[in-house]
Amino acid sequence: MEQQSILLLFLVLMGIAIIVFTYVYLSSKKAEPPKLGMSNPLKKRFWFMLILSVILVIFISVTIPKSPYYLFTNETPAKVVHVSAMQFMFIMSEKAIDPKKPSREAIEIPVNKLVEFRVTSLDVNHGFGVYNPEDRLITQTQAMPGYVNRLRYKFSEPGTYNIFCLEYCGMAHQVMRSSFIVK
Amino acid sequence: MESIKMRKITAIWIITILTLFIVAIVLAILMRMNQGGMIVQSPVTFYVNMTTHGLTMIGIWFVAGMAAINYLMDRYVKTSYIVNVIALVLTVIGILLLWTSTFVGKFHAAWTFLYPLPFKVMWAQWATPLFLISLTVLTIGWLIWSLSLMAMILKKYTISQSFAWQHFKKNPKVETPPFILISMITLIGVIACLFAAVLLVVLLFAEYFSNGAFVNDALLMKNLTYFFGHTIANEMLYLGLAVIYELFSEVSERPKWKTTWYVALGWNFTLVFVLTAFFHHLYMDFVQPEGLQIVGLLASYLASLPAAGVTVFSVFIAVYRNKIKWSLANLLFFIGIAGWVIGGLGAVIDATISNNIVLHNTLWVPAHFHTYNALGNVLFSLGFFYWFSTKFTEKINSKMFTKVTLAILLIGGIGFLLVFYIAGADSIPRRYSTYPAELSIGTSLAWWGAIFATVYLTAILIFFLNISKRCLKILFSPS
Repeated sequence: MEQQSILLLFLVLMGIAIIVFTYVYLSSKKAEPPKLGMSNPLKKRFWFMLILSVILVIFISVTIPKSPYYLFTNETPAKVVHVSAMQFMFIMSEKAIDPKKPSREAIEIPVNKLVEFRVTSLDVNHGFGVYNPEDRLITQTQAMPGYVNRLRYKFSEPGTYNIFCLEYCGMAHQVMRSSFIVK
Repeated sequence: MESIKMRKITAIWIITILTLFIVAIVLAILMRMNQGGMIVQSPVTFYVNMTTHGLTMIGIWFVAGMAAINYLMDRYVKTSYIVNVIALVLTVIGILLLWTSTFVGKFHAAWTFLYPLPFKVMWAQWATPLFLISLTVLTIGWLIWSLSLMAMILKKYTISQSFAWQHFKKNPKVETPPFILISMITLIGVIACLFAAVLLVVLLFAEYFSNGAFVNDALLMKNLTYFFGHTIANEMLYLGLAVIYELFSEVSERPKWKTTWYVALGWNFTLVFVLTAFFHHLYMDFVQPEGLQIVGLLASYLASLPAAGVTVFSVFIAVYRNKIKWSLANLLFFIGIAGWVIGGLGAVIDATISNNIVLHNTLWVPAHFHTYNALGNVLFSLGFFYWFSTKFTEKINSKMFTKVTLAILLIGGIGFLLVFYIAGADSIPRRYSTYPAELSIGTSLAWWGAIFATVYLTAILIFFLNISKRCLKILFSPS
């Protein structure tokens, strides 16, 4: 789901919650004794729980297959980009990066081809957040020292993509960034 | 019934918590003002404020829940006054040490102090060990307190009774009050995550003093960090719920809630889900075993069933078409439940892996957890504080006062939270002292965030004056 539809979904759900809570509150304002309500409210939850469970199960079964771990697993990437994050920069290269002598190069990625980012960190945890030319976050992974996260993606739109650090890494976290071009 | 000593220490807890709360909100407003370009602070100052704000808030709302359940537990079992005092003293010392490490030592590794950031020293050398010592002091105080309360429950109830297992059969001979059941379930979670905190601090100290001979594993440390951090943030909500199960009916002048097999089952399951949901913090670490990612997703979804399902619908049924005596206390409980539900919706959306990839570490994250804290758990505790403070002093609040205060609280709260959600959906990262030119929408949204947060602060100041005045009276009254 895109962020705007996520926000819309949230606002709709929030609206429903507010309406239900207000309705229940007002019903108590209008109520007259003798009481119509139940004396022990901790009873008869069955239907509520069943409906809630069904909604959750539908949500889970629809969304799990869309998790990043299962995307493009059977394809071979057309390009591999090595990413080493360090305070406060990203080093990107098409060759493996030597942690003792890290060197970077400008990255160009072919449009509509599968690319794999192999992301690690040379010091603390960082986040590798990919922003499209419209400055929207489209995918991400973490950069963790001692581990390599493989992030696969197909870029459908040519242009300059920015990388912003998405894990707090110290006093210059907010200026830690890089970019690449999709052609 | 509770002793005068218990009444007085609870009054001290309340005044302490509200004072620290105001300081922590001011830090938050300064952060939003800096992000919004209204003031200019150095990034170090911003991140120092951020670290202090996060840990102070977690600390005070945890102890707010603990102080409340300790006070109410005296209705069922005898609790230790001495342990309560020790917890208060260690909490205050811990917070002062923490503030020294941040404000004086400039320690700014965020409240999650994600390994190995605390060791990449960008502050005074002594600030890292002092920060770890402050965590140790807080953890010891809270562990003693939680263990003591649990021991007191187990003196009166057997283990199976404290979990309300006898309610799975028809007509149980002994009734476990919902308050005792929820307190027990929550205390176990609290103790588990505090032990994780101890392990985390020991591992950090081990590396600190080993001069490079011992190095931790970043993935393990991240799992431990969130097992501690996520769990304690959730458990403090459940402490608030224990209070609601005990007080909502009482304040509303309705029959007391009783445990049924639904409630027993629901809360027993909650224990399992709350201890495994933290895996959702590691969705974007693709090296984490996939099985654990799915466990995280299932637990995050299922956690909403027992705790939220049972509680929310119980409150609905308690209120629906029932003539209720509404007061500021139960209104705060009721609105707090709504805030908790709405924050929970935001949380479940974010706990869905395919959404998390575009929401993780954006402002959506503080958006949802501030919803169930600032308009959820805080209101549970304020409801308790208000109920407690008016119990021993004459009631002076008019209906008008209640309406106006709640209106200010809601306008400020909903405003600053909506700004967070919109910014999150606009891909604005969290924990940025200022925003890059491409994400300048974050700057204008932060400006509005600062304004609304100030309105929220105004409501909290009104609560502070109102409640502390009464608490001071309780503190200095001879009986």
